[in-house]
Amino acid sequence: MTVDGHRVRWVGQQAVIAMPAEIDVTNADPIGQALVIAASQDTPVLIIDMSGTTFCDSAGVRAIITAHQHAATTGTRLLLVAAPVLRMLTLTGVDQLIPIYPTLAAALAGAPGPGG
Amino acid sequence: VTAPATGARPADKLHDIQSITDTALARLGDHDLLTELLERTRAILQADTAAAMLLDSSSGELIATAAAGLEEEVRQGVRIPVGRGFAGRIAATRQPVTLEHADHTTALNPILLQKGIRALMGVPLIAGRKVLGVLYVGSLTDRKFTSDDLELLLLAADRAASAVLSLMTREDRLAATALQRSLLPSPLSAAGGAELAARYVPGEGVVGGDWYDVFTLPSGQLCVVIGDVMGSGLPAAVIMGRMRSALRAYALETTDPAEVLARLDAKMQHFEPGALATVLYAVFEPGLSQAHICSAGHYPPVLALPRRPARLAGIPPGLLIGAAPGAQRRVANLDIAPGSLLCFFTDGLIERRAHSIDEGMARLCRAVTARPPDAAIATVMAALVGSETADDDIAVLMLRRPP
Repeated sequence: MTVDGHRVRWVGQQAVIAMPAEIDVTNADPIGQALVIAASQDTPVLIIDMSGTTFCDSAGVRAIITAHQHAATTGTRLLLVAAPVLRMLTLTGVDQLIPIYPTLAAALAGAPGPGG
Repeated sequence: VTAPATGARPADKLHDIQSITDTALARLGDHDLLTELLERTRAILQADTAAAMLLDSSSGELIATAAAGLEEEVRQGVRIPVGRGFAGRIAATRQPVTLEHADHTTALNPILLQKGIRALMGVPLIAGRKVLGVLYVGSLTDRKFTSDDLELLLLAADRAASAVLSLMTREDRLAATALQRSLLPSPLSAAGGAELAARYVPGEGVVGGDWYDVFTLPSGQLCVVIGDVMGSGLPAAVIMGRMRSALRAYALETTDPAEVLARLDAKMQHFEPGALATVLYAVFEPGLSQAHICSAGHYPPVLALPRRPARLAGIPPGLLIGAAPGAQRRVANLDIAPGSLLCFFTDGLIERRAHSIDEGMARLCRAVTARPPDAAIATVMAALVGSETADDDIAVLMLRRPP
């Protein structure tokens, strides 16, 4: 399925949402909305896949934080996959809120199911 | 007297339309255009008042901004919540509303009711997908507005919307710029014996939420703040102003930078939910031999020692302000040798779409040298900004311990 044009696929109990190559003020709002919709009560684990993201400014960080705040209310566990933009996420302390994995495979393997 | 229906004859109708679409109106300034348009609309529709209420997005209220006929509502600053009453319903539904018997159950505006307005017809002011406000006409006598009347009002609203958009955008920009200027400390005095220089550049003509601050404490310690409220324009500038004052207040209560940021974080999460900001806060010991620095999601400063390549100071990253309750942040204690320079900055200085953040930071480190801050900051701005217009706003503050 797609949420606001962002592809969400399921791998077992885990939903994976792919992020675009660049996230900035021009697309961060719809991305934030898509993340909030994807992090619903029916999603035990949501993996935000930024492995293909090469640019993410503070607007992108804001979208992720908003999703995190929403996920706390629905009980969805968020995981991040990031390589090129890892620096931005550690600098702003996002890694202290959401576990970050270097690859999607590592996130899928490292993410326990509900209650895990 | 019951006002006659308008636009009865095709020739009159054409004349009415021309009066509204008159290209000569474009030569007026936006505010004059709005006033003239209201006057013409009122005259054509033979109404007793024509008014524009504009949406104040921060309060979610419509504010009477311009009127021809009953100007009192503008002078008294009438406010109507979106969703309530006649005008509030138009803004909420984005649909025209006609009231043939206005009373306190259907209209909220006390001035219209006091003056004895009987009939009202209003339409939304829309630019793109955004509701800017409401345009309406009112009659003191019983009146059935016709579909021709509505058509004319919609035409006037269309014409008014572009003027209103440019008016609101400009007012927001001017207010945000004025706020920024009033809050940035200027001129920077040689506080606490430090040599200082700073720059603030709005990005793309849009002021944002970047700020810096320098002040001394009763203990003689010198404090430096640099921060960036996410978002832009007036809302970000307003939040920035509140953060700046709150941080100063907490700085007087405790000298632990992590505790100051923790209190600021708690205050923001309670009073400004949804706001996010990065802040770096540094407390310098008297004599400037050491700095205690704490980061809430902000870039560490660049440290340059005399005749040595500059590098990023090792400040442990801490969670940005507003993200989650109870974040723990660590404080770095940095020794500052005589003649050393620290360069504090916001993301606009180094983030470029074509380059990674690491490349941006490397460029900055190459440009920073331990020289007098006035000269050093000019070099950095030339090297990193040059003649390009930045997308994002930029704040830079340099501090040197005298050699």
